[in-house]
Amino acid sequence: MTELLQHLVNGVSLGAIYALIALGYTMVYGVLKLINFAHGDVFMLGAMVGWYASARWTNEARDPSIAGALAVTLLAMVVCGTVGFVIERAAYRPLRGSPRINSLITAIGVSFFLEYGGQYLFGPNPRAFGVLPHRANFIGGGISVGYVDLVTIGTSIVLMALLQRIVFHTRMGTAMRAVSWNPSVAALMGVNIDLVISFTFVLGSSLAAVAGILYASKYPSVHPLMGLMPGLKAFVAAVLGGIGNVPGAMLGGLLLGLAEQLVSGYTSSSWRDAVAFSILILILLVKPSGLLGRTDAEKV
Amino acid sequence: MRRKSSVAGFFGGSAVKRAWRGLRSWIPFFAAIPFLYLVEATLASQPSLEYAFQNINHIGIAIILAVSLNLVNGLTGQFSIGHAGFMAVGGYVSAVMLMRGPAQDPYRLFFVLSILAGAGAAAVAGWIVGKPSLRLRGDYLAIVTLGFGEIIRVIIENTPFFGGAIGLSPIPHRADFTWIWATAVATILIAKRLRDSSHGRAFLSVREDEVAAEAMGIDTTAYKVRAFVISAFFAGVAGALSGAFEGNLAPQSFTFVRSFEIVAMVVLGGMGSITGATIAASVLTILPEYLRALANLRMVIYSVALVVLMLVRPRGLLGTTELWDFVRRRRPRAKGKREATEALIDVRRASIRFGGLTAVSDFSLEVRPRELVALIGPNGAGKTTVFNLLTGVYPPSDGTIVIMGRDTRGLQPHAIAHLGVARTFQNIRLFRELSAFDNVRIACHHLTRESMGAAVRHGELSVVEERWIAERSEELLEIMGLSHRLEELAKNLPYGEQRRLEIARALATGPQVLLLDEPAAGTNTREKGELMQLIRSIRDRFGVAIVLIEHDMRLVMGVSERILVLDHGVTIAQGLPREIQSNPKVIEAYLGEKYAKEHFGSGAAS
Repeated sequence: MTELLQHLVNGVSLGAIYALIALGYTMVYGVLKLINFAHGDVFMLGAMVGWYASARWTNEARDPSIAGALAVTLLAMVVCGTVGFVIERAAYRPLRGSPRINSLITAIGVSFFLEYGGQYLFGPNPRAFGVLPHRANFIGGGISVGYVDLVTIGTSIVLMALLQRIVFHTRMGTAMRAVSWNPSVAALMGVNIDLVISFTFVLGSSLAAVAGILYASKYPSVHPLMGLMPGLKAFVAAVLGGIGNVPGAMLGGLLLGLAEQLVSGYTSSSWRDAVAFSILILILLVKPSGLLGRTDAEKV
Repeated sequence: MRRKSSVAGFFGGSAVKRAWRGLRSWIPFFAAIPFLYLVEATLASQPSLEYAFQNINHIGIAIILAVSLNLVNGLTGQFSIGHAGFMAVGGYVSAVMLMRGPAQDPYRLFFVLSILAGAGAAAVAGWIVGKPSLRLRGDYLAIVTLGFGEIIRVIIENTPFFGGAIGLSPIPHRADFTWIWATAVATILIAKRLRDSSHGRAFLSVREDEVAAEAMGIDTTAYKVRAFVISAFFAGVAGALSGAFEGNLAPQSFTFVRSFEIVAMVVLGGMGSITGATIAASVLTILPEYLRALANLRMVIYSVALVVLMLVRPRGLLGTTELWDFVRRRRPRAKGKREATEALIDVRRASIRFGGLTAVSDFSLEVRPRELVALIGPNGAGKTTVFNLLTGVYPPSDGTIVIMGRDTRGLQPHAIAHLGVARTFQNIRLFRELSAFDNVRIACHHLTRESMGAAVRHGELSVVEERWIAERSEELLEIMGLSHRLEELAKNLPYGEQRRLEIARALATGPQVLLLDEPAAGTNTREKGELMQLIRSIRDRFGVAIVLIEHDMRLVMGVSERILVLDHGVTIAQGLPREIQSNPKVIEAYLGEKYAKEHFGSGAAS
């Protein structure tokens, strides 16, 4: 029982990170119908920025302060938001309206550019990561909850509540939803599509930055290819929840994190990467629109 | 060996002739082998050329990979980025066999067997991966294949049987220059034959417009899966050759970086161009050897090149052009129409609801042979929805639709097209990047019986059919007054000609019922007059029944024998043109209650 509880706690913490990344995928998919392959690498970039900033600002020997961690995270959010903005502006916008496969290839190109550009600058080897203050685990009732896990869960809840607010209760959020339903009609109604899409990229990318810092704190290391697997899994989470659907991404992330943790907890951790893709294939077979997704028939 | 022999041969020509034909189609392949062998025997053993030959062999393997991936990513317009995964499957299966197999393999029969086993395993893996993901849009395939490639690698790394992270070694060196290049030549040849066949056009039609392809009778999902499985098969072949050439296999060489390199070859070379893929495979294999100084930046350069190319030249360097496109083709014979007497289409009380909205309710329609029926009604009345019901794009919520005596429940659009219903689209859906000729040829697809194997072998039937398709297509284009546009891309045709091309394409499926969705939209008065003539002559010449959706009343009244009026999804009237013209309900639907009352008395309101 306690073992199960322990796995659940770990699963929720992992799932929260997936959910944060999945939100970026799902929002961009919502407005552009594009799988932003580079999203996982923006996530990596967030962790990278965190590493550089903390290496510069904090002393290895000294325990990082909470204020420092906040500052580092904010910086990462700003940098990633900017990068997201630039990616959309430079690579995706000129291709809007061209066949989807072209945008897809471009997205993969951008993704590899970030990965291997990162490898060129940063070197391929993992480096230790420490942005959050060190605290002892909380132990009670036979389970131990890491400080990082607590921070992860707390931060994610706050961010998701904030996002929910933005998407469903602000003008910009309404515009985003309008664009996701039908961009050309939204434009006719006076919505500035370019602005909305840029905003979506900035929003998604800054969430990915936070996820990057949390992930790198949980598995305390960073390297240029670290975005690949979490990125793919977060995409699976988005599909599981119903791609284009914001609450769906949260749900999908959580479920995927739990599933992965349970499988690796009860069988072997070498199977954890297989979980996500099995889920993906299963969901594509059974309910391709995802748990909360909508099905729309193509207009002929 | 011209026209006469092909027909004679088809109806039981001598075995010798048959054998000769079979052989002749493989001349490029058989001619290549002695040449390759000669090169190998004289040059490959020289130590000074060892490094050069190593590169040349790498090129050969890269060509097999790029040409096979091109089948999926270029021709069929899907997007796979896990080719290295299939390569790994083929490589490992074959390597395990070779390492446990006989030490001596004089005629390399066992080697061939191991290649086939590896390729077969890769094809099975392709089927497992492709089947669920290909039903959906291409983006999913990208993710699934990427994930698959990674999983395969993880499995191999964790399986001692496959050598784990260290890899398998030593694998007997069975693949050499001759073997690799003979396979590369064969791959190119097979890819070319496929591409030039009816199946190749089916692949292209999937890339261009899936809805239209289905309407022309092409089972799009099946074709996507086929392309994917064939492509995986050849990736497996490449993997097997690679292992038997290098003498070892390591999971590190099958990362997604490898997959990405192959994607880069296809995209750079031109999506859909076999020659392009071949050239790009050669260049991208050799280039890094000469740019060792930039080795760390190689992937960065690739990715930037890819993005820039997409921005500047989205179809890749060669596009779909082939080098052999500069040499040309020949042509075949139309067959007579069957005559049917019963109702071709029998719709009984069909309804369809989208959410809470009933788009069409209680719709009944019977179409008899050679009939000209018009379906009219104000905008949003549900006319196109009726076409979508008839062609299986939407299944009805209630009611039955019987076509050629067959209940169409559960039938996919392509199956309904096979029954003999063809359509045009209100918002023209041509295969835009293909020529007018190819647009029509694609629609002949389901009338042919050649198998993919026959297409590759250039079997007798496939040659005859290919000629027949060409002749039929040319004839249809001529009837539609498009002979001069044969080689023009569909997207470049003027609007009116695009509409006529759609009709030609629909006729090419050999329908008994032709559904025309607003053929006169956007045409001027003179063209409308011509269209009226055309519709009549199509009916007379092809003996088809025509159901017409049209807003232009002069055309409708001039051409149709029977009219159905829809309003808000309900059939409000049907009858002869004269009856409809004076029907108060119809007038009300078109002009409003007030107008009807003022001009036709109170009867209209009831």
